Amino acid sequence: MISGVAMVKGGLAVHWAIMMSLLVYAGSAQLAALPLIVAGAPLWVIVATGLITNLRFVIYSAALRPHFADLPWRRRAALGFFMTDFTFTRFMRSAQEGTLPEHRDAWFAGICSHNWITWQVSAITGIIGASYVPTDWGLEFTGTLALVALVGPSLNARPAIVGAAAAAVVALIAYPLPFKLGLFCGAIAGIAAATLTDTLQQRSPPPGAEAT
Amino acid sequence: MSDPVAGWALAVVIVGLALSTLVTRTSFLLAGAKLRLGHRVEVALRYAPVCTLAAIIVPDILIHPPGHAIDLSLLNPRLIGALAAGLWLCWSRNIIGCLGLGMGAYTLARLYL
Repeated sequence: MISGVAMVKGGLAVHWAIMMSLLVYAGSAQLAALPLIVAGAPLWVIVATGLITNLRFVIYSAALRPHFADLPWRRRAALGFFMTDFTFTRFMRSAQEGTLPEHRDAWFAGICSHNWITWQVSAITGIIGASYVPTDWGLEFTGTLALVALVGPSLNARPAIVGAAAAAVVALIAYPLPFKLGLFCGAIAGIAAATLTDTLQQRSPPPGAEAT
Repeated sequence: MSDPVAGWALAVVIVGLALSTLVTRTSFLLAGAKLRLGHRVEVALRYAPVCTLAAIIVPDILIHPPGHAIDLSLLNPRLIGALAAGLWLCWSRNIIGCLGLGMGAYTLARLYL
């Protein structure tokens, strides 16, 4: 719903916002792309930003593969496209507890379609509802706050904290660069810092951590 | 920057973003069984979203309207709203509360500071 409100208050026409919700179906990528669309950034910058925000799904799809390896590719592709953070987490929890039902693909398709319908109904409600709210209420800021709410819980490990801090500082310094390239400098610096922190942690595990 | 992306350019952006969703979510589900994620690559992929989002959010809060100087003062309504939302997240995972408090603080600061 928040993505819907933010898209319309960010300045997207209602029909484009609905199309974006239906086709892109990735809340964080939509919210990340939004300020760039509003600022008139080049197309490749917007799409690349969405792509980086979606990169976590590469890990998810690698984790799901063993469970669906025997399915035809079309079915794997469909299950993949409709997977989200929530449905992936739900599936992996059942997999770890050993409580996956016999027809795990049908079960997964079930939770994914349920999630899709809930998401789209609330997003479109947000889109249409927001179009009746005056712009000077400042509702476009809900998009930024929703991203804060997405990032906050992910800051639970040292590499994430170091990476996010490095990304923020570099993005601020590089802000004057054209084409929103400061964003990329920040993201790349952050990823490098996070990877480096992870490597250092592997070498000297913090006290209490199990050696691997 | 220039005018918002609109019309056919926006349609291209939407298709591009939809493809990015499709490609990332189906990548390993469709790849051959021999392809594996190395540890280093997995770490980079895991932290890429949080870094990108931080690189978007922080300038969005501190540099507003876009193009102005960095505003770290506590008179910045966006900073106040984001701090309120962040503090809320420290003791509750409730997103509605986070947004409500953040928007409330932002609106009050915007109207009265």
